[in-house]
Amino acid sequence: MLLDILQTGLDGVMVGSLYAMVALGITLVFGLVGILNFAHGQSVMLGAYVCFFVESASHSFWVGAILATLAMGVFGALLERAVFRRTLGDPFAGLAVSLGLIMIVENVAAAGFTPDPRFMDPPVSGSFALGPLVLSSQRSLVLVISSALVAGFWLFLQRTKLGKAIRAMSQSRRGAALVGVRVDTVSRSIFAVGGALAGAAGALYASLFAVTPFMGATPLTKGFIIAALGGLGSVPGAIAAGFLLGLAESFGSRYLSASFRDGYGFIILILALLFLPTGLFGAGKERV
Amino acid sequence: MIGMRCKGLLLGVVAFALFGPAAQAQTGGVVKLGYVGSLTGPHSGWDLPAAEGMQMAVAEINGSGGLKVGGKTYRVEVVQEDAQSKPDVAATAAQKLLSDDDIHVVMGVLTSVPGVPVATQMAKAKVMYIGGFTALDGIVGKPGNELSFRALDADETVAKGFVPVVVRELGLKKIGMLVPNDDVSKTFVKAYQPLFDQAGVQIPIVEFFQPGTTDFAPVLRKFQGHGLDGLFIGYADPDAEAIIRQGLEIGDLPKKFVYRGGSGAPAVKYADKIDGFVWQILTRDLASPGDEKVKAWIDRYKAFTKKDVVANTYWALTFYDSVFMLSKAMNAAGTTTDQAAIAAKLKGMVYDGVRRMSFDRDGHGVTDVDIGVIKSGKTYSIPEKVL
Repeated sequence: MLLDILQTGLDGVMVGSLYAMVALGITLVFGLVGILNFAHGQSVMLGAYVCFFVESASHSFWVGAILATLAMGVFGALLERAVFRRTLGDPFAGLAVSLGLIMIVENVAAAGFTPDPRFMDPPVSGSFALGPLVLSSQRSLVLVISSALVAGFWLFLQRTKLGKAIRAMSQSRRGAALVGVRVDTVSRSIFAVGGALAGAAGALYASLFAVTPFMGATPLTKGFIIAALGGLGSVPGAIAAGFLLGLAESFGSRYLSASFRDGYGFIILILALLFLPTGLFGAGKERV
Repeated sequence: MIGMRCKGLLLGVVAFALFGPAAQAQTGGVVKLGYVGSLTGPHSGWDLPAAEGMQMAVAEINGSGGLKVGGKTYRVEVVQEDAQSKPDVAATAAQKLLSDDDIHVVMGVLTSVPGVPVATQMAKAKVMYIGGFTALDGIVGKPGNELSFRALDADETVAKGFVPVVVRELGLKKIGMLVPNDDVSKTFVKAYQPLFDQAGVQIPIVEFFQPGTTDFAPVLRKFQGHGLDGLFIGYADPDAEAIIRQGLEIGDLPKKFVYRGGSGAPAVKYADKIDGFVWQILTRDLASPGDEKVKAWIDRYKAFTKKDVVANTYWALTFYDSVFMLSKAMNAAGTTTDQAAIAAKLKGMVYDGVRRMSFDRDGHGVTDVDIGVIKSGKTYSIPEKVL
């Protein structure tokens, strides 16, 4: 029984790390520019396709994952420059634009790539034993990579000049501008970083799950639950909530019912909104 | 003078032949058939090939001179509406077709979510509807729905032949069922459980997962430790492939799979890692055709669509044969508009096209199917005579 609980917990942590990566992009953009970017899931989907096609052509998942990360970083920066910069200060316009982007990107992808699901060959396959536990090799690799990316992103925010500028801007855009932070550049950077994280998450998703033009909806829904659960704008909250959601889904599906999988996240979200209205770590007090 | 008279007489005969009553009988006008289906969105994988099949049949009928009914020849036209894989859009699309008074027969929709509103509206409007989705079995045959037909076999019909083949091919004794939590699954679980029981196969665990699930690891762990030798894994290709792949990843699970879906695609990549995979081909096996009719159809399909045959192409046969069967019924009834008369002829007919198909007296499809098998690295199909 204990072994089963441990195994189920590890399943939850593995998928939770992916959720956290997606939620980071959403929470960062909201924290900085006040836009709930619903089209973030489409960056995950496009990243997955980039990885899939590059892997198919080059037979290297790693080349595919790196290109997916870079391509979605550029895509994020372009979106900021072409679209979201014009909706700054108008959250409803930003929301409407991001909803429109979902329809456009999703249908263009369906027309271009066909709706057929595609499965990519993972870089490692099979399972390995860790003491009494049997772990999936690819899931373990995803956990290591996503944890490293989340940790790296955390260090980037804490230690680099741009990271500090992002943190300053998240506290006060005007204040940051007054002390010399180039807010336009930082805004673009944060869309690029959020996009790159989504691209990397897409590549990791593709190594585990089916790639379809409509796959963006799942990580997006989870990303929003996590961002709200962790407190919109709170990076540590998003990371913790990602793992929490992964664990809730995993234990719920294993010991309760798999037919209610998405419901577990919403139950936690509702409880959090009732009892922790500013998120797990109180986004209003401690942001980024 | 006589020569001129002869020429005049000859011209008169030609003119009479061209423009007289006999010629007029050859140009009866246009028969419009409605098609509603998900041409975009996640269900388009089913409905796009289904639409191609219908267009192909219509092109072949028109190419061979047109639809001949009651001494008249009609050109057939397809009026197509996109359901976008959404029930509300499907309802609007159905309404659009219903607003065209010249459309007396509508075909289309292979998935239940957009299919139910279409079938319901067609039944209410008393317009003949031939669909393919599973939930249509709950609509066909109900009082007032005499013009509703399902062009594919019901689970009860297929399962009777499918289960013995599965048990024989895979040598099953104890299986678990992992299927989506929806009406379709609940219907077929009820149909299959007693048949496996009769065949001496135990089913100690049945689990329903949330539709759209991508991560099956936690629910698959429920199937570990039961001593199972097979898994019955639902009906959708993405789910089936994800379950096979993730089952192999986490280990300690059976490697024989029974698939209620219609394609071997979910198992192809894993053929050397699994012990067997059996699926239903509700139309005909296009991947390894043994029948000359099927081979000829594949050539015509490629020429018509300029596409290669892929895993989902066999859905094209759902309405391809239905169009020909309908034209035969119209011919037998001597009308293109009297739907009750056409429906009566359809229900009493066996059509031997690329598929061999018929409808029972309620309108449920009763057709021969193929059963696909992947075993020991080989792929083959077994014809199942249902009719």
